[in-house]
Amino acid sequence: MRFSVSKDILLSGLQTVQNVVSSRTTLPILANVRIQAEEGKLRFTTTDLDVGVTCITDAVVERHGGTTLPVKRLAGIIRELPQGEVHIEVDSKNIASLKCGQIFFKIHGLPADEFPPFPEFEDCKVFTLKQSEVKDALRKTSYAISTDETRYVLNGILFSFKDSRLTMVATDGRRLGLVDLEVEFPQSDETDVIVPTKCINELTRLTNDAGEMKMYISQNQVAFDVGTTRLVSKLVEGNYPNYRQVIPTEVRERVTLERELFLSAVHRVSLLSSEKSNSVKLVFTKNNLEIASNTPDVGEAKESIPVVYKGVDMTIAFNPEYLMAPLRALPNDEVYLDLIDEMSPGVVKIQSPFLYVIMPMRVS
Amino acid sequence: MGNEDNQTRADFFLYKLFAKHTSLVSSQSFHPRIPHPLSTTSRMHRVIFHVDMDAFFASVEQRDFPQYRGKPVIVGSAPDKRGVICAASYEARRFGIHSAMPSRTAGKLCPHGIFVRPRMEAYREESRAIMAIFEAYTPLIQQVSVDEAYLDLSSCVQKASGPDEALRSALPLARDIKERIQTERRLTASIGVGANKFLAKIGSDFQKPNGLTLIPESEKIMFLRPLSVRTIHGVGPVTAQQLEAAGLRTIGDIQNSKLPLETLVGSWAERLRQRAFGEDDRSLDLERERKSISAEHTFAVDTEERQVLRAALKEMSADIAQTLARNAAGALTVQVKVRYRDFSTVTRQVRVQDPVTAAAEIYRLSCHLLARDKLVSGALRLLGIGVSTLVEPWVAQMRLAFAGEKTEG
Repeated sequence: MRFSVSKDILLSGLQTVQNVVSSRTTLPILANVRIQAEEGKLRFTTTDLDVGVTCITDAVVERHGGTTLPVKRLAGIIRELPQGEVHIEVDSKNIASLKCGQIFFKIHGLPADEFPPFPEFEDCKVFTLKQSEVKDALRKTSYAISTDETRYVLNGILFSFKDSRLTMVATDGRRLGLVDLEVEFPQSDETDVIVPTKCINELTRLTNDAGEMKMYISQNQVAFDVGTTRLVSKLVEGNYPNYRQVIPTEVRERVTLERELFLSAVHRVSLLSSEKSNSVKLVFTKNNLEIASNTPDVGEAKESIPVVYKGVDMTIAFNPEYLMAPLRALPNDEVYLDLIDEMSPGVVKIQSPFLYVIMPMRVS
Repeated sequence: MGNEDNQTRADFFLYKLFAKHTSLVSSQSFHPRIPHPLSTTSRMHRVIFHVDMDAFFASVEQRDFPQYRGKPVIVGSAPDKRGVICAASYEARRFGIHSAMPSRTAGKLCPHGIFVRPRMEAYREESRAIMAIFEAYTPLIQQVSVDEAYLDLSSCVQKASGPDEALRSALPLARDIKERIQTERRLTASIGVGANKFLAKIGSDFQKPNGLTLIPESEKIMFLRPLSVRTIHGVGPVTAQQLEAAGLRTIGDIQNSKLPLETLVGSWAERLRQRAFGEDDRSLDLERERKSISAEHTFAVDTEERQVLRAALKEMSADIAQTLARNAAGALTVQVKVRYRDFSTVTRQVRVQDPVTAAAEIYRLSCHLLARDKLVSGALRLLGIGVSTLVEPWVAQMRLAFAGEKTEG
């Protein structure tokens, strides 16, 4: 195998795929990127057996062939090269010789045929999505994904295709983020799948602000085509909890909040929320919202912001992190906070199909 | 949600397994156990009290809030909330309510019950005051939980000529302790007096509330005869079923039995026989703070049968949940222990964010660990669960009310 490619193109190809390689692999070859040289093209592939990425870049291919090389090391070398053409030749023993001007590296690889095969997607459901919408929806939901390994069905985002809509949901059992997107697909393709966190992180990196993308769903796997890059992943097995039943149907009080003002106030006040309770109180009185926190023997914080509020006086406590997460992710100037009472879930909403359910904290 | 799926996964994992015959032995092991320099020796006549407060949490509530007196008081989560009962007053127990029961069930059984949220700090404070009373009688105190302790009074009665006289001469001390608890703390306790911990515990349980039962050494065998095998601490429902299936319903049945108990309950047979004859040489565990709680099953026949392992896990989870409740504690670490045929032993643990209190949650996490690390890779000789990092069971952050969520304590 022999090819030439510019440093920047090579580096961007390696950076697209190197993230899924875990630092501690059970099989040595999983630390490698498979490089396949075809007519005018290079294909890079990596996998950790749960998630895999493959991408294509243009190159001058002088001799076809394939090999695998340690991806982190290779990317580290390429990053340090000066601008210009990189020539790589791999011999039958999978030893790669890399030349760039007067620079020479020799890297030992492993045979390409020992690399795990990349999953095929035949006989699957295909959905066409807008990259910008998916990117936006991931941003608005993914912070709510559970990191509790013992609740593995929550370790990902639910993609629910139903009634010409894609509903994306993430929850950790304490708060829940949800976005609805309009998507065209036949009713026979309605399906619910849970895409694991690692795949979500890769998808967030891959998606751009323009263009379409494809999503393929098979029995137990999912693939995303973004440009010339394909991301595949196992799906999380199991049933996602019924998220609809935790979304309050009742609204007793709706408060309109200036997002940035509210966010910075909660952040400031949270500086004195105790590590133990880790809560801030929202005290609603007529046309006023006071945000308060205190840590015994340390101090307390209070900040008032004017709001339109005509309901009964109410004090509700939240984990400040849970309150701030959606405020950081949303672009809107104004958000709504819907409340029922101090022991019922609050809901953050905006003008578009998004909602965030947040459970309050008990005040002892 | 996650619960069920994890369970299914673990079940699937255990399902692949098969075995012929098994029986379970449960034993709760408490540690650390530190011998005290004043511990009684075998030459002395032993006198052990087991003092057990009557419906402790509920009684404290009834004492502090006169309007609750004579009414069914249920301490724990509200009946419309997920969670369990920590304690119930005797009035509430008449409705079939007992600790560790889900609050919703309790609400159905006793809709007019007074549900109060536990005031753990108050109970702990009360516990300290009661322990202070005990200290006036002996330094040898094993506090089992907030409302229960063993006292070793052997050194007070060494002039006695025989074991029964030693026990009887300690009776005034037991009456005195009860009276002081009643006048100083306005609470009642039941005390069992015996020559060892096993008999003392049987005694305190014999006449509740406000009981005082002495089991003389000369009568202990007759005393135990009519009692169910389930009264023996460590005989859980599964072991009891095994024993009952073999026709051993009462302790008398075990006394009479010529059956090789080893085939029924494995290595526990000898201890079981000792208990049946009222013998127990365990010394008092004088360490104050409980750091961990654990339970283990040794299988009579090594097994990898899914149903047997599940049953063992469920029983141990229930035991541990009960001990947690008695200690008014939740655990942040759950551990499983597996011993294989060749005696190699593996432990695995998981740390959780919210303190675990419920049996179902301990079971779920244990299954998770077994499945995650594929621990049932062959027949097991022993299976155990332990919980540690004990903290207050209070969780301020509420959880979304997904159906099937059983995790909230």
